[in-house]
Amino acid sequence: MNLSGPSPRAAARRLVLTLLKPGLLKPGVLKSDLLKPGLLTLWLLTFGLLLAATPSWAEETLRFPGTASATQPLEQLTVHGALDIPQVRPLLEDFHRRFPFISLTYRNLTTLELNHRFLAAQTPSADVLISSAMPWQYRLANDGHAQPLTGARADAWPNWARWRHELFAVTFEPIVMVYRRELAERFGAPQSHAELLDLLEQHGEALRGRVVTYDPEKSGAGYSYAVEEARLSPRYWELVAALGATEAVLEETTGAMLQGLKEGKYWLGYNLLGSYAQNVVADDPALEMVIPKDYALVTQRLALIPKRARHPVTAQRFLDYLISEHGQRVIAERTALGAVHPSLKGPGTANALKARLGDALRPIRLSPALLATLDDLKRRALLARWQREFRRWQSAPEGAANKAAESGAPSYQSATAHEIHNDGTNAARSGAP
Amino acid sequence: MRRPASLYRRLLTWLLLPLLGLGALMLVQAYLDARHTADRAFDRLLEAATLAIADRVQWQDDQLWLDLPPAALEMLATDAEERVFYALYDGEGNFITGNARLPSDERPDQGHGNLQGSLQDTLQDTLQGSPQNGSRGDTLLYRDIEWHSLALRQGTRRSRLEDWSLQERFEIRVAHTREGREALTLSLLRGNLAYIGAMAALAIAALLLAIRSALAPLTRLRSAIRSRDPRTLAPLELPLPRELAELRETVNDLLARMRRVRANQERFIGDASHQLRTPLAGLSTRAELALRQDDPAAWRGALEAMRTTSASTARLAGQLLSLTRLDNPEATPDLAPLDLNALARRATRDAWASCHRDGIDLGVDADETPLMIDGVAWQLEEALTNLIDNARRYGAQRITVRVTDHPPTLAVEDDGPGIAKDQRLLVLRPFYRGRDGGEGSGLGLAIVDGIARGHKARLTLESKADDTGLRVAVHFTGDRA
Repeated sequence: MNLSGPSPRAAARRLVLTLLKPGLLKPGVLKSDLLKPGLLTLWLLTFGLLLAATPSWAEETLRFPGTASATQPLEQLTVHGALDIPQVRPLLEDFHRRFPFISLTYRNLTTLELNHRFLAAQTPSADVLISSAMPWQYRLANDGHAQPLTGARADAWPNWARWRHELFAVTFEPIVMVYRRELAERFGAPQSHAELLDLLEQHGEALRGRVVTYDPEKSGAGYSYAVEEARLSPRYWELVAALGATEAVLEETTGAMLQGLKEGKYWLGYNLLGSYAQNVVADDPALEMVIPKDYALVTQRLALIPKRARHPVTAQRFLDYLISEHGQRVIAERTALGAVHPSLKGPGTANALKARLGDALRPIRLSPALLATLDDLKRRALLARWQREFRRWQSAPEGAANKAAESGAPSYQSATAHEIHNDGTNAARSGAP
Repeated sequence: MRRPASLYRRLLTWLLLPLLGLGALMLVQAYLDARHTADRAFDRLLEAATLAIADRVQWQDDQLWLDLPPAALEMLATDAEERVFYALYDGEGNFITGNARLPSDERPDQGHGNLQGSLQDTLQDTLQGSPQNGSRGDTLLYRDIEWHSLALRQGTRRSRLEDWSLQERFEIRVAHTREGREALTLSLLRGNLAYIGAMAALAIAALLLAIRSALAPLTRLRSAIRSRDPRTLAPLELPLPRELAELRETVNDLLARMRRVRANQERFIGDASHQLRTPLAGLSTRAELALRQDDPAAWRGALEAMRTTSASTARLAGQLLSLTRLDNPEATPDLAPLDLNALARRATRDAWASCHRDGIDLGVDADETPLMIDGVAWQLEEALTNLIDNARRYGAQRITVRVTDHPPTLAVEDDGPGIAKDQRLLVLRPFYRGRDGGEGSGLGLAIVDGIARGHKARLTLESKADDTGLRVAVHFTGDRA
């Protein structure tokens, strides 16, 4: 499948628009049409891997023409990133000020496009790839597509934020909840997952259709978070069931969720990317952002230099800048991305977050476990489980639910209840539609 | 100029070379051992990972289904952050899921391995890890592979579903890069290296000390010889190990022989001086007596007597000269073929006139046919003359020169008084006279002995067949006298 040209993107947009029509999102339709194995794979490839980090579809490019000096010849650098222009601009401007002889082209892509462009290109690709799709970036490095960055800074970079000198986590972005003031006034503001579960279970009726979260099926980010949360605690499935019971709306991007929250359509958003929510919440007095106190996932943008990079030396200069104290200070002070550098302590740094939240922060680890999230069978199993849990308490009038009730619903329920107390890994065995 | 070979260096070379070879072998062995140990340790990870994955393989939706446990992959990535690959294949070798299409391991299951297991298979098993049975009766295979230009260690587990009715076979392949193994190999090797290095240092130090102490007696011997008075021939007296004691005894033997030779020479010189002084003193006395007289007739008598004496003195000097020449071990005579019979006849003819004058019967017994030997004619004639002369002087009346064959022998027989058995060796010494009062110089037999030795012939002195007189014979045996 060629995803590098413009026409597949247009087609994808059309398909998304079609899918977003209300009727199509009903579970029954999803079940009958979209979950057929062959078709499902196609959907997954086309939409599922899109991450919320890129609310815009359009390819955006930022250019900083370089000026050669007597002592320094001109250097070229192309960066492909899944990182919005407003977030990345201060960083690139600072870099350009420090290295005016580098002609810098930044292209903002979706994580899927970024990954596919790299894999499809036979010729040398971009010089640096930055993406929040941690499993995909990890897989590229694992398969030997990245070249190592050496040097004192790379050596000093914290172990938990790099892999083999090939993969560097340069940001620190917690996953947050955002709620409207109306919610806090009526039911109190949830500060943790446990409080959120209580809130949903007690006021499910009042919150019907007012809660929004990621669709794990269509959003790679949502899927990643679901995998991580399911690993952290089996109680996650109770939360999914409670979300299902309140008929939570499923969105694909943080941007769409924030938009609905701003407009007052939703009162509570669960699992939003903190770095994007932060600025929106700061601008809108009706919104509040909460980093859950019991546990908060943290996602990180991973940067790597491809082996096929056209300008490896300049790429190393750029990545070295990204992990330098200067670059990280810009990230901390002028963006909402969160700096990782261990010597930075002020607001907007990992250290500050850690000091505030301590052990509750759960950065998604740079480990081969990320590869497991990309496993196709694993994905299908987890999504099937997710769907089942989501529809568990729905008083759905749809035919599927009625049918389930007629044909031995008690046994079905007991089976799932049993699984709740398991680690959840056997979910696929009995529950696949 | 090339330096002469040093015993020290030779010993050092021949002891160090095998030692270094041995050290190199130990290093190679240590590396292989370390690698093997590291592989065995890390293969356990492959085993555990495949087991963890195999536990999650199920039958679902009419196909093999895997709920991949992330921990299985995490255990493959150790501190060294290995790259990790996994794949699930069904019994027919179809790819089910995984992040890499890892190659299949073609080796058969253990238990039904081929019976004609060749040496190559055995070698391969040693290198790649032989098939093992896992805890569930699965087949486990390990090997090193090169995949997409990455050096990987692959573990393969062949298993089957344990369901009521289904016995579906499947294969789990996992692989990771070798960084962790190499790190462990290096650290194991480093430990061994220190050990081997210490051993080598000790061995070399011991070797140097041993060679030094073994060669110390040689130095003592050298300095003992160097510090000797060059004129002394006294034996070396110093304690030495057995091998060098032999050398010392050999040197001492040589010194003893040199002492005897010198004693002989000194006596010879003394005797010769004495022999020459007597006739010279006689000449001097005779001349003084003659000068006191005025009678020319007396002068003439004195001069004639002096002529006789000086002639015999000249003959003595000539004999001494030829004896010296014969005794010189470095002078090898130029041997030429000659007829022994002719030589005997010629010598007899020369001596016959004077013998006849004295009424002595001199005869020769030699064949007409030539008897050829290699020799020096004048020396043999001299020897024959000496023997005839000797026999005359000691009162023989009948002298026979006899030549016999097998071996060629030149013999002189006389009917004189003969020589007692215990005297027969002594008479060969210069200036030894068998009987006091004889007028010979005492050199005749010594000269014959010298000539015989120069011809590598054997000289024998014995009585005649009837136990009277003397028979002196020179046997040209060709070997050493």
